[in-house]
Amino acid sequence: MKDELEAFVLEEARLLDERRFSDWLALFAEDGVYWVPTNPRQASPQEALSLFYEPKPLLAMRVARLERPDMHVQSPASRTVHHVSAVEVSGDLEVRSALVVAEWRAGDARWFAGRVLHRLRREAQGLRIVLKRVDLIDSEAPQRAIAVPF
Amino acid sequence: MNVADLWRANSVHRAAYVDPAVFALEQERIFRRAWLYVAHESEVPQPGDYVLRRLGPDEVLLVRGEDRSLALLHNRCAHRGARIVAQPAGNARQFRCPYHSWTYALDGRLIGMPLPEGYAAKVELGLARVARVDSYRGFVFGSHAAEGPGLAEFLGGLASAFDNMLDRAPAGTVSRFGGELRLEYRGNWKMFMENAVDLVHPNFVHRSSVEAAREQPQALAADGLTQQGAQMFLANGMRAPEWDKVPLHAFPGGHVTMGGFYRSGVIAPERADPVYERYRAQLVERHGAEKAAAVLAVDRFNNLVWPTVSVNSRFAALRVVQPLAADRTVVEVQCFRLEGADAAMHDLTLQFVNLAASPASLVASDDLELFERCQRGLQGAASDWIDVRRGALADRPQPDGSTLGSGTSELAIRHQFATWLQYVTR
Repeated sequence: MKDELEAFVLEEARLLDERRFSDWLALFAEDGVYWVPTNPRQASPQEALSLFYEPKPLLAMRVARLERPDMHVQSPASRTVHHVSAVEVSGDLEVRSALVVAEWRAGDARWFAGRVLHRLRREAQGLRIVLKRVDLIDSEAPQRAIAVPF
Repeated sequence: MNVADLWRANSVHRAAYVDPAVFALEQERIFRRAWLYVAHESEVPQPGDYVLRRLGPDEVLLVRGEDRSLALLHNRCAHRGARIVAQPAGNARQFRCPYHSWTYALDGRLIGMPLPEGYAAKVELGLARVARVDSYRGFVFGSHAAEGPGLAEFLGGLASAFDNMLDRAPAGTVSRFGGELRLEYRGNWKMFMENAVDLVHPNFVHRSSVEAAREQPQALAADGLTQQGAQMFLANGMRAPEWDKVPLHAFPGGHVTMGGFYRSGVIAPERADPVYERYRAQLVERHGAEKAAAVLAVDRFNNLVWPTVSVNSRFAALRVVQPLAADRTVVEVQCFRLEGADAAMHDLTLQFVNLAASPASLVASDDLELFERCQRGLQGAASDWIDVRRGALADRPQPDGSTLGSGTSELAIRHQFATWLQYVTR
Protein backbone atom coordinates (compact mmCIF):
# COMPACT_ATOMS: atom_id res chain seq x y z
CA MET A 1 0.00 0.00 0.00
CA LYS A 2 2.91 2.34 0.68
CA ASP A 3 3.83 2.34 -3.01
CA GLU A 4 0.29 3.21 -3.99
CA LEU A 5 -0.01 6.12 -1.54
CA GLU A 6 3.45 7.42 -2.36
CA ALA A 7 2.63 7.33 -6.06
CA PHE A 8 -0.56 9.25 -5.31
CA VAL A 9 1.15 12.16 -3.53
CA LEU A 10 3.90 12.35 -6.16
CA GLU A 11 1.27 12.47 -8.90
CA GLU A 12 -0.65 15.16 -7.02
CA ALA A 13 2.48 17.33 -6.81
CA ARG A 14 3.34 16.76 -10.47
CA LEU A 15 -0.11 17.94 -11.59
CA LEU A 16 0.63 21.31 -9.95
CA ASP A 17 3.99 21.56 -11.72
CA GLU A 18 2.30 20.73 -15.02
CA ARG A 19 -0.39 23.34 -14.31
CA ARG A 20 -3.11 20.71 -14.74
CA PHE A 21 -5.12 22.45 -12.04
CA SER A 22 -8.52 20.92 -12.91
CA ASP A 23 -7.03 17.44 -12.72
CA TRP A 24 -5.45 18.42 -9.41
CA LEU A 25 -8.81 19.65 -8.06
CA ALA A 26 -10.43 16.36 -9.09
CA LEU A 27 -8.17 14.54 -6.62
CA PHE A 28 -10.00 16.21 -3.73
CA ALA A 29 -13.05 14.52 -2.21
CA GLU A 30 -16.23 16.59 -2.38
CA ASP A 31 -15.75 17.42 1.32
CA GLY A 32 -11.99 17.77 0.89
CA VAL A 33 -10.03 20.74 2.25
CA TYR A 34 -6.73 22.37 1.31
CA TRP A 35 -5.15 24.04 4.34
CA VAL A 36 -1.96 26.05 4.93
CA PRO A 37 -2.02 27.35 8.52
CA THR A 38 -0.02 30.33 9.79
CA ASN A 39 0.90 28.45 12.95
CA PRO A 40 2.40 24.94 12.90
CA ARG A 41 0.82 24.17 16.29
CA GLN A 42 -2.63 25.13 15.05
CA ALA A 43 -5.09 22.29 15.64
CA SER A 44 -8.02 23.85 13.80
CA PRO A 45 -8.70 26.70 11.37
CA GLN A 46 -10.82 28.31 14.12
CA GLU A 47 -7.73 28.97 16.24
CA ALA A 48 -5.80 31.25 13.93
CA LEU A 49 -5.56 32.81 10.52
CA SER A 50 -4.55 30.66 7.57
CA LEU A 51 -2.68 31.39 4.36
CA PHE A 52 -5.18 29.05 2.71
CA TYR A 53 -8.24 27.40 4.22
CA GLU A 54 -10.29 26.24 1.28
CA PRO A 55 -12.96 23.58 1.15
CA LYS A 56 -13.39 22.20 -2.37
CA PRO A 57 -15.98 24.76 -3.61
CA LEU A 58 -13.59 27.62 -2.76
CA LEU A 59 -10.67 25.69 -4.20
CA ALA A 60 -12.74 25.32 -7.38
CA MET A 61 -12.86 29.13 -7.67
CA ARG A 62 -9.10 29.30 -7.17
CA VAL A 63 -8.62 26.75 -9.96
CA ALA A 64 -11.08 28.51 -12.26
CA ARG A 65 -9.05 31.70 -11.76
CA LEU A 66 -5.75 29.93 -12.42
CA GLU A 67 -7.09 29.00 -15.83
CA ARG A 68 -7.99 32.56 -16.80
CA PRO A 69 -5.67 34.81 -18.85
CA ASP A 70 -6.57 37.93 -16.80
CA MET A 71 -5.05 36.67 -13.54
CA HIS A 72 -2.40 39.35 -13.30
CA VAL A 73 -0.28 37.63 -10.69
CA GLN A 74 0.11 34.68 -13.10
CA SER A 75 0.96 36.75 -16.15
CA PRO A 76 3.53 35.49 -16.87
CA ALA A 77 2.81 32.13 -15.25
CA SER A 78 4.97 30.58 -12.54
CA ARG A 79 7.12 27.57 -13.25
CA THR A 80 7.39 25.33 -10.23
CA VAL A 81 9.00 22.14 -9.02
CA HIS A 82 7.27 20.46 -6.09
CA HIS A 83 9.92 18.18 -4.61
CA VAL A 84 8.28 15.56 -2.38
CA SER A 85 10.43 13.28 -0.25
CA ALA A 86 10.61 11.40 3.05
CA VAL A 87 7.18 9.87 2.43
CA GLU A 88 5.77 7.99 5.43
CA VAL A 89 2.51 6.09 5.34
CA SER A 90 0.28 5.00 8.20
CA GLY A 91 -2.39 2.31 8.13
CA ASP A 92 -5.31 4.74 8.22
CA LEU A 93 -4.52 6.34 4.85
CA GLU A 94 -2.45 9.18 6.25
CA VAL A 95 0.67 10.19 4.36
CA ARG A 96 3.36 12.47 5.76
CA SER A 97 6.04 13.94 3.56
CA ALA A 98 8.60 16.72 3.24
CA LEU A 99 8.07 19.32 0.54
CA VAL A 100 10.31 21.86 -1.14
CA VAL A 101 8.80 24.07 -3.81
CA ALA A 102 11.00 26.07 -6.14
CA GLU A 103 9.20 28.76 -8.11
CA TRP A 104 10.39 30.95 -10.97
CA ARG A 105 8.28 33.84 -12.18
CA ALA A 106 8.83 37.19 -13.87
CA GLY A 107 12.55 37.29 -13.16
CA ASP A 108 12.45 36.09 -9.57
CA ALA A 109 13.17 32.69 -8.04
CA ARG A 110 11.96 31.73 -4.58
CA TRP A 111 11.67 28.66 -2.42
CA PHE A 112 9.20 27.30 0.10
CA ALA A 113 9.72 24.34 2.42
CA GLY A 114 7.47 22.50 4.80
CA ARG A 115 5.91 19.30 6.05
CA VAL A 116 2.79 17.93 4.41
CA LEU A 117 -0.01 15.77 5.77
CA HIS A 118 -2.37 14.05 3.34
CA ARG A 119 -5.48 12.44 4.81
CA LEU A 120 -6.95 10.22 2.09
CA ARG A 121 -10.09 8.19 1.51
CA ARG A 122 -10.79 5.34 -0.86
CA GLU A 123 -13.74 6.23 -3.07
CA ALA A 124 -15.30 4.54 -6.11
CA GLN A 125 -13.02 6.44 -8.51
CA GLY A 126 -9.90 5.84 -6.43
CA LEU A 127 -8.02 7.64 -3.69
CA ARG A 128 -9.29 11.13 -2.85
CA ILE A 129 -7.91 13.87 -0.59
CA VAL A 130 -9.94 14.62 2.51
CA LEU A 131 -7.30 17.00 3.85
CA LYS A 132 -4.03 18.31 2.51
CA ARG A 133 -2.27 20.31 5.19
CA VAL A 134 0.99 22.11 4.46
CA ASP A 135 3.00 23.51 7.37
CA LEU A 136 5.60 25.87 5.95
CA ILE A 137 8.76 26.35 8.01
CA ASP A 138 8.21 30.10 7.71
CA SER A 139 4.41 30.07 7.97
CA GLU A 140 4.34 33.33 9.93
CA ALA A 141 6.79 35.19 7.70
CA PRO A 142 5.77 37.99 5.35
CA GLN A 143 5.10 36.53 1.89
CA ARG A 144 4.84 38.10 -1.51
CA ALA A 145 1.79 37.10 -3.54
CA ILE A 146 1.22 33.35 -3.66
CA ALA A 147 -0.70 31.98 -6.64
CA VAL A 148 0.20 28.31 -7.17
CA PRO A 149 -0.76 26.01 -4.26
CA PHE A 150 2.04 24.18 -2.43
CA MET B 1 15.46 68.34 -5.78
CA ASN B 2 13.46 70.05 -3.02
CA VAL B 3 10.93 67.72 -1.44
CA ALA B 4 8.38 70.56 -1.47
CA ASP B 5 8.39 70.32 -5.26
CA LEU B 6 7.30 66.67 -5.37
CA TRP B 7 3.58 67.36 -4.98
CA ARG B 8 1.67 69.87 -7.11
CA ALA B 9 -2.03 69.79 -6.18
CA ASN B 10 -3.01 67.18 -8.79
CA SER B 11 0.19 65.36 -9.61
CA VAL B 12 3.04 63.71 -7.76
CA HIS B 13 6.66 63.25 -8.78
CA ARG B 14 7.75 59.61 -9.11
CA ALA B 15 10.62 60.29 -6.69
CA ALA B 16 8.02 60.18 -3.89
CA TYR B 17 7.76 56.43 -4.56
CA VAL B 18 11.23 55.37 -5.73
CA ASP B 19 13.88 57.67 -4.26
CA PRO B 20 15.65 56.24 -1.16
CA ALA B 21 16.48 59.80 -0.04
CA VAL B 22 12.77 60.65 0.03
CA PHE B 23 12.13 57.45 2.01
CA ALA B 24 14.79 58.44 4.56
CA LEU B 25 13.13 61.84 4.89
CA GLU B 26 9.74 60.17 5.39
CA GLN B 27 11.20 58.03 8.18
CA GLU B 28 12.42 61.14 10.00
CA ARG B 29 9.55 63.50 9.32
CA ILE B 30 6.50 61.19 9.15
CA PHE B 31 7.34 57.99 11.04
CA ARG B 32 9.24 59.74 13.82
CA ARG B 33 6.34 62.18 14.35
CA ALA B 34 2.94 60.68 13.62
CA TRP B 35 1.06 58.37 15.99
CA LEU B 36 1.68 54.83 14.74
CA TYR B 37 -0.32 51.76 15.76
CA VAL B 38 1.53 49.45 18.16
CA ALA B 39 -0.78 46.75 19.53
CA HIS B 40 -4.04 46.14 21.35
CA GLU B 41 -4.05 46.12 25.15
CA SER B 42 -5.50 42.58 25.14
CA GLU B 43 -2.15 41.35 23.79
CA VAL B 44 -0.44 42.24 27.08
CA PRO B 45 -3.07 41.49 29.76
CA GLN B 46 -0.80 40.46 32.68
CA PRO B 47 2.11 42.20 34.43
CA GLY B 48 5.30 41.23 32.59
CA ASP B 49 3.54 40.50 29.29
CA TYR B 50 5.31 42.01 26.31
CA VAL B 51 5.06 42.11 22.52
CA LEU B 52 7.82 43.03 20.10
CA ARG B 53 6.76 45.42 17.32
CA ARG B 54 8.08 47.90 14.79
CA LEU B 55 7.38 51.57 15.35
CA GLY B 56 8.47 53.30 12.16
CA PRO B 57 12.20 52.68 11.78
CA ASP B 58 12.70 51.18 15.26
CA GLU B 59 11.94 47.94 17.04
CA VAL B 60 10.05 48.46 20.29
CA LEU B 61 8.65 46.49 23.22
CA LEU B 62 5.18 47.15 24.59
CA VAL B 63 5.32 45.98 28.21
CA ARG B 64 2.66 45.68 30.92
CA GLY B 65 4.28 46.77 34.19
CA GLU B 66 3.79 45.45 37.74
CA ASP B 67 1.48 48.43 38.33
CA ARG B 68 -0.41 47.49 35.11
CA SER B 69 0.77 50.64 33.32
CA LEU B 70 2.10 50.32 29.77
CA ALA B 71 5.68 51.12 28.79
CA LEU B 72 6.91 51.41 25.22
CA LEU B 73 10.66 50.76 25.15
CA HIS B 74 13.29 50.57 22.45
CA ASN B 75 14.51 46.97 22.12
CA ARG B 76 18.16 47.97 22.29
CA CYS B 77 20.55 47.49 25.17
CA ALA B 78 21.76 50.80 26.60
CA HIS B 79 25.28 49.32 26.82
CA ARG B 80 26.48 48.08 23.44
CA GLY B 81 23.23 48.23 21.48
CA ALA B 82 22.32 44.54 21.22
CA ARG B 83 18.73 43.63 20.52
CA ILE B 84 17.57 42.33 23.90
CA VAL B 85 14.33 40.48 23.17
CA ALA B 86 14.20 38.16 20.16
CA GLN B 87 10.85 36.44 20.80
CA PRO B 88 7.80 38.10 19.24
CA ALA B 89 5.86 37.93 22.53
CA GLY B 90 6.18 36.56 26.04
CA ASN B 91 6.16 37.23 29.76
CA ALA B 92 9.20 38.47 31.68
CA ARG B 93 10.05 39.62 35.20
CA GLN B 94 12.93 41.66 33.82
CA PHE B 95 14.86 42.05 30.58
CA ARG B 96 18.45 40.85 30.53
CA CYS B 97 20.83 41.52 27.66
CA PRO B 98 22.51 38.30 26.53
CA TYR B 99 25.77 40.14 25.72
CA HIS B 100 27.08 41.55 29.05
CA SER B 101 24.05 40.89 31.24
CA TRP B 102 22.86 44.44 31.76
CA THR B 103 19.43 43.93 33.31
CA TYR B 104 16.37 46.17 33.15
CA ALA B 105 13.08 46.38 35.04
CA LEU B 106 9.80 46.17 33.13
CA ASP B 107 9.74 49.97 32.94
CA GLY B 108 13.21 50.05 31.38
CA ARG B 109 15.23 51.12 34.48
CA LEU B 110 18.72 49.59 34.72
CA ILE B 111 18.67 47.31 37.77
CA GLY B 112 21.81 45.24 37.33
CA MET B 113 25.14 45.01 35.53
CA PRO B 114 28.42 43.21 36.03
CA LEU B 115 31.46 45.11 37.41
CA PRO B 116 29.75 48.31 38.54
CA GLU B 117 33.04 49.20 40.28
CA GLY B 118 34.51 49.74 36.81
CA TYR B 119 32.54 52.98 36.55
CA ALA B 120 33.35 56.22 38.37
CA ALA B 121 29.69 56.89 39.13
CA LYS B 122 26.49 54.84 39.24
CA VAL B 123 25.31 54.16 35.69
CA GLU B 124 21.83 55.56 35.16
CA LEU B 125 21.28 54.41 31.59
CA GLY B 126 18.05 52.53 30.95
CA LEU B 127 16.20 51.20 27.93
CA ALA B 128 15.20 54.26 25.92
CA ARG B 129 11.50 55.01 26.15
CA VAL B 130 9.47 55.96 23.11
CA ALA B 131 8.54 59.62 23.57
CA ARG B 132 4.79 59.09 23.79
CA VAL B 133 2.49 56.12 24.21
CA ASP B 134 -1.28 56.32 24.55
CA SER B 135 -4.30 54.09 24.14
CA TYR B 136 -7.56 54.91 22.41
CA ARG B 137 -10.07 52.58 24.08
CA GLY B 138 -7.54 49.72 24.11
CA PHE B 139 -5.83 50.42 20.77
CA VAL B 140 -2.27 51.45 21.67
CA PHE B 141 -0.35 53.94 19.56
CA GLY B 142 3.14 55.34 19.97
CA SER B 143 4.87 58.46 18.72
CA HIS B 144 8.60 59.10 18.56
CA ALA B 145 7.92 62.85 18.86
CA ALA B 146 7.71 64.40 22.32
CA GLU B 147 5.63 67.26 20.94
CA GLY B 148 2.58 67.29 18.72
CA PRO B 149 -1.15 66.68 18.84
CA GLY B 150 -2.42 64.12 21.34
CA LEU B 151 -3.73 60.75 20.14
CA ALA B 152 -7.42 61.69 20.26
CA GLU B 153 -6.74 64.86 18.29
CA PHE B 154 -4.59 62.92 15.80
CA LEU B 155 -7.32 60.32 15.21
CA GLY B 156 -9.97 63.03 14.83
CA GLY B 157 -12.89 61.80 12.74
CA LEU B 158 -11.37 58.32 12.47
CA ALA B 159 -11.75 57.53 16.18
CA SER B 160 -15.28 56.53 15.17
CA ALA B 161 -13.88 53.51 13.29
CA PHE B 162 -12.59 52.08 16.59
CA ASP B 163 -15.78 53.16 18.39
CA ASN B 164 -17.88 51.28 15.84
CA MET B 165 -15.80 48.09 16.23
CA LEU B 166 -16.33 48.24 20.01
CA ASP B 167 -20.04 49.03 19.59
CA ARG B 168 -20.33 45.89 17.46
CA ALA B 169 -19.15 43.74 20.39
CA PRO B 170 -22.05 42.54 22.56
CA ALA B 171 -19.83 42.87 25.67
CA GLY B 172 -18.44 46.25 24.57
CA THR B 173 -14.84 45.05 24.33
CA VAL B 174 -12.67 43.37 21.72
CA SER B 175 -9.53 41.25 22.01
CA ARG B 176 -6.87 40.19 19.56
CA PHE B 177 -6.87 36.56 18.44
CA GLY B 178 -5.74 34.36 15.59
CA GLY B 179 -2.14 35.47 15.14
CA GLU B 180 -1.48 37.47 12.02
CA LEU B 181 -1.07 37.30 8.27
CA ARG B 182 1.90 39.15 6.81
CA LEU B 183 2.10 40.32 3.21
CA GLU B 184 5.13 41.76 1.54
CA TYR B 185 5.56 43.60 -1.73
CA ARG B 186 8.46 45.22 -3.53
CA GLY B 187 6.78 48.57 -3.67
CA ASN B 188 6.30 51.80 -1.76
CA TRP B 189 4.18 51.88 1.40
CA LYS B 190 1.94 54.66 0.05
CA MET B 191 0.62 52.37 -2.68
CA PHE B 192 -1.19 50.23 -0.12
CA MET B 193 -2.82 53.27 1.53
CA GLU B 194 -3.89 54.65 -1.86
CA ASN B 195 -5.20 51.37 -3.22
CA ALA B 196 -7.33 50.70 -0.13
CA VAL B 197 -9.54 53.64 -1.12
CA ASP B 198 -9.24 53.34 -4.93
CA LEU B 199 -12.57 52.10 -6.24
CA VAL B 200 -11.78 52.14 -9.93
CA HIS B 201 -9.19 49.37 -9.73
CA PRO B 202 -11.35 46.44 -8.47
CA ASN B 203 -13.20 45.96 -11.74
CA PHE B 204 -9.90 45.59 -13.60
CA VAL B 205 -7.41 44.21 -11.11
CA HIS B 206 -9.83 41.70 -9.60
CA ARG B 207 -11.60 40.71 -12.82
CA SER B 208 -10.26 37.14 -12.72
CA SER B 209 -11.73 36.41 -9.28
CA VAL B 210 -15.04 38.07 -10.23
CA GLU B 211 -15.31 35.82 -13.30
CA ALA B 212 -14.12 32.74 -11.40
CA ALA B 213 -16.95 33.28 -8.90
CA ARG B 214 -19.46 33.86 -11.73
CA GLU B 215 -18.43 30.54 -13.25
CA GLN B 216 -19.44 28.83 -9.99
CA PRO B 217 -22.98 30.17 -9.34
CA GLN B 218 -23.73 27.25 -7.03
CA ALA B 219 -21.17 28.67 -4.57
CA LEU B 220 -23.59 31.36 -3.42
CA ALA B 221 -25.87 28.62 -2.14
CA ALA B 222 -23.08 26.58 -0.56
CA ASP B 223 -21.83 26.52 3.03
CA GLY B 224 -21.30 29.82 4.88
CA LEU B 225 -17.59 30.02 4.16
CA THR B 226 -17.91 29.44 0.43
CA GLN B 227 -20.85 31.84 0.24
CA GLN B 228 -18.88 34.54 2.04
CA GLY B 229 -15.98 34.07 -0.37
CA ALA B 230 -18.15 34.13 -3.47
CA GLN B 231 -19.92 37.30 -2.30
CA MET B 232 -16.62 39.02 -1.66
CA PHE B 233 -15.19 38.07 -5.05
CA LEU B 234 -18.37 39.07 -6.92
CA ALA B 235 -18.52 42.44 -5.14
CA ASN B 236 -15.45 43.64 -7.03
CA GLY B 237 -17.33 43.28 -10.30
CA MET B 238 -19.44 46.43 -9.90
CA ARG B 239 -19.20 48.99 -12.69
CA ALA B 240 -18.06 52.58 -12.33
CA PRO B 241 -21.55 54.11 -11.95
CA GLU B 242 -22.17 51.81 -8.99
CA TRP B 243 -18.79 52.49 -7.37
CA ASP B 244 -19.50 56.17 -7.87
CA LYS B 245 -22.22 55.94 -5.24
CA VAL B 246 -19.73 54.83 -2.60
CA PRO B 247 -18.75 58.08 -0.87
CA LEU B 248 -15.14 58.88 0.00
CA HIS B 249 -14.66 61.11 3.02
CA ALA B 250 -11.24 62.70 3.56
CA PHE B 251 -10.48 64.06 7.05
CA PRO B 252 -7.70 66.37 8.25
CA GLY B 253 -4.49 64.41 8.87
CA GLY B 254 -4.67 62.26 5.74
CA HIS B 255 -7.36 59.94 7.12
CA VAL B 256 -10.01 58.63 4.70
CA THR B 257 -13.15 56.55 4.95
CA MET B 258 -14.90 54.70 2.18
CA GLY B 259 -18.59 54.32 2.96
CA GLY B 260 -21.88 53.04 1.68
CA PHE B 261 -20.63 49.54 0.99
CA TYR B 262 -23.51 47.68 2.50
CA ARG B 263 -26.14 50.26 1.58
CA SER B 264 -25.17 50.16 -2.09
CA GLY B 265 -25.15 46.37 -2.07
CA VAL B 266 -21.42 45.82 -2.49
CA ILE B 267 -21.60 43.45 0.43
CA ALA B 268 -24.86 42.12 1.82
CA PRO B 269 -25.91 44.64 4.50
CA GLU B 270 -26.73 41.97 7.02
CA ARG B 271 -26.82 38.25 7.11
CA ALA B 272 -30.02 36.34 7.68
CA ASP B 273 -28.74 33.12 9.25
CA PRO B 274 -29.34 31.98 12.86
CA VAL B 275 -25.80 32.94 13.94
CA TYR B 276 -26.30 36.49 12.80
CA GLU B 277 -29.86 36.70 14.20
CA ARG B 278 -28.60 35.75 17.64
CA TYR B 279 -25.76 38.26 17.35
CA ARG B 280 -28.18 41.03 16.41
CA ALA B 281 -30.40 40.13 19.36
CA GLN B 282 -27.37 40.43 21.67
CA LEU B 283 -26.61 43.89 20.29
CA VAL B 284 -30.23 44.97 20.78
CA GLU B 285 -29.95 43.77 24.37
CA ARG B 286 -26.84 45.89 24.89
CA HIS B 287 -27.75 49.05 23.00
CA GLY B 288 -31.53 49.01 22.56
CA ALA B 289 -33.13 48.47 19.16
CA GLU B 290 -32.54 51.95 17.81
CA LYS B 291 -28.85 52.25 18.61
CA ALA B 292 -28.16 48.61 17.64
CA ALA B 293 -29.63 49.33 14.20
CA ALA B 294 -27.50 52.47 13.93
CA VAL B 295 -24.32 50.58 14.93
CA LEU B 296 -24.94 47.89 12.33
CA ALA B 297 -25.84 50.51 9.72
CA VAL B 298 -22.35 52.06 9.79
CA ASP B 299 -21.29 50.82 6.40
CA ARG B 300 -17.79 52.13 5.89
CA PHE B 301 -15.54 49.42 4.54
CA ASN B 302 -11.97 50.70 4.79
CA ASN B 303 -11.15 53.36 7.36
CA LEU B 304 -7.62 54.71 6.89
CA VAL B 305 -5.79 56.15 9.85
CA TRP B 306 -2.94 57.72 7.92
CA PRO B 307 -0.09 56.86 7.62
CA THR B 308 -0.19 53.19 8.64
CA VAL B 309 -3.54 51.65 9.61
CA SER B 310 -6.61 50.47 7.74
CA VAL B 311 -9.54 49.57 10.02
CA ASN B 312 -12.42 47.33 9.03
CA SER B 313 -14.97 47.74 11.84
CA ARG B 314 -17.57 45.25 10.65
CA PHE B 315 -15.14 42.41 10.09
CA ALA B 316 -13.10 43.45 13.17
CA ALA B 317 -9.76 43.58 11.41
CA LEU B 318 -6.79 45.92 11.11
CA ARG B 319 -4.14 46.09 8.42
CA VAL B 320 -0.97 47.76 9.64
CA VAL B 321 1.57 49.04 7.13
CA GLN B 322 5.29 48.77 7.87
CA PRO B 323 7.47 50.71 5.45
CA LEU B 324 10.87 48.98 5.18
CA ALA B 325 12.43 50.76 2.21
CA ALA B 326 11.29 52.95 -0.68
CA ASP B 327 10.58 49.74 -2.58
CA ARG B 328 9.75 47.31 0.21
CA THR B 329 6.67 47.15 2.44
CA VAL B 330 5.15 44.65 4.84
CA VAL B 331 1.46 44.70 5.75
CA GLU B 332 0.42 42.91 8.91
CA VAL B 333 -3.20 41.79 9.15
CA GLN B 334 -4.76 41.26 12.57
CA CYS B 335 -8.24 40.41 13.73
CA PHE B 336 -10.31 40.76 16.88
CA ARG B 337 -12.93 38.85 18.81
CA LEU B 338 -16.12 40.83 19.33
CA GLU B 339 -16.39 39.86 22.99
CA GLY B 340 -19.75 38.46 24.00
CA ALA B 341 -20.53 37.15 20.52
CA ASP B 342 -20.74 33.44 19.72
CA ALA B 343 -17.69 31.54 18.51
CA ALA B 344 -19.34 31.26 15.10
CA MET B 345 -19.02 35.04 14.69
CA HIS B 346 -15.28 34.83 15.42
CA ASP B 347 -15.02 32.10 12.76
CA LEU B 348 -16.59 34.44 10.21
CA THR B 349 -14.00 37.09 11.08
CA LEU B 350 -11.11 34.66 10.58
CA GLN B 351 -12.52 33.35 7.34
CA PHE B 352 -13.18 36.81 5.96
CA VAL B 353 -9.62 37.88 6.73
CA ASN B 354 -8.15 34.67 5.25
CA LEU B 355 -10.08 35.17 2.02
CA ALA B 356 -9.61 38.92 1.70
CA ALA B 357 -6.14 39.55 3.03
CA SER B 358 -3.86 36.50 2.86
CA PRO B 359 -0.92 36.80 0.46
CA ALA B 360 -2.56 33.79 -1.22
CA SER B 361 -5.98 35.53 -1.39
CA LEU B 362 -7.66 35.51 -4.79
CA VAL B 363 -8.13 39.25 -4.28
CA ALA B 364 -5.08 40.55 -2.39
CA SER B 365 -2.54 38.66 -4.53
CA ASP B 366 -3.45 40.71 -7.60
CA ASP B 367 -3.17 43.95 -5.59
CA LEU B 368 0.36 42.95 -4.56
CA GLU B 369 1.22 42.20 -8.18
CA LEU B 370 0.03 45.66 -9.26
CA PHE B 371 2.01 47.42 -6.50
CA GLU B 372 5.15 45.69 -7.78
CA ARG B 373 4.34 46.58 -11.38
CA CYS B 374 3.86 50.24 -10.41
CA GLN B 375 7.15 50.29 -8.53
CA ARG B 376 9.01 48.81 -11.49
CA GLY B 377 7.29 51.14 -13.91
CA LEU B 378 8.03 54.23 -11.84
CA GLN B 379 11.74 53.43 -11.76
CA GLY B 380 11.75 54.31 -15.44
CA ALA B 381 11.89 58.01 -16.33
CA ALA B 382 9.34 57.99 -19.15
CA SER B 383 7.69 60.85 -17.30
CA ASP B 384 8.38 62.26 -13.86
CA TRP B 385 4.79 63.18 -13.03
CA ILE B 386 1.86 60.96 -12.03
CA ASP B 387 -1.55 62.50 -12.62
CA VAL B 388 -4.18 62.02 -9.89
CA ARG B 389 -6.72 64.68 -10.81
CA ARG B 390 -9.69 62.41 -11.62
CA GLY B 391 -12.80 63.76 -9.89
CA ALA B 392 -11.08 66.86 -8.48
CA LEU B 393 -13.75 69.20 -9.84
CA ALA B 394 -16.37 67.32 -7.81
CA ASP B 395 -14.59 67.53 -4.42
CA ARG B 396 -17.04 68.91 -1.82
CA PRO B 397 -15.33 70.65 1.13
CA GLN B 398 -17.34 70.38 4.37
CA PRO B 399 -17.70 72.93 7.21
CA ASP B 400 -15.73 70.65 9.59
CA GLY B 401 -12.63 70.79 7.38
CA SER B 402 -13.19 67.38 5.78
CA THR B 403 -13.88 66.80 2.07
CA LEU B 404 -16.39 64.51 0.39
CA GLY B 405 -15.94 62.94 -3.02
CA SER B 406 -17.39 60.08 -5.01
CA GLY B 407 -16.03 56.55 -5.07
CA THR B 408 -14.41 56.95 -8.48
CA SER B 409 -12.56 60.13 -7.51
CA GLU B 410 -8.83 60.23 -6.78
CA LEU B 411 -9.65 62.52 -3.86
CA ALA B 412 -8.14 60.12 -1.32
CA ILE B 413 -4.75 60.10 -3.05
CA ARG B 414 -4.69 63.89 -3.42
CA HIS B 415 -5.67 64.25 0.19
CA GLN B 416 -2.99 61.87 1.46
CA PHE B 417 -0.32 63.70 -0.54
CA ALA B 418 -1.45 67.09 0.78
CA THR B 419 -0.92 65.72 4.30
CA TRP B 420 2.34 64.04 3.25
CA LEU B 421 3.64 67.38 2.00
CA GLN B 422 2.86 69.05 5.33
CA TYR B 423 4.87 66.41 7.18
CA VAL B 424 7.90 66.20 4.89
CA THR B 425 8.37 69.97 4.48
CA ARG B 426 8.33 70.77 8.21
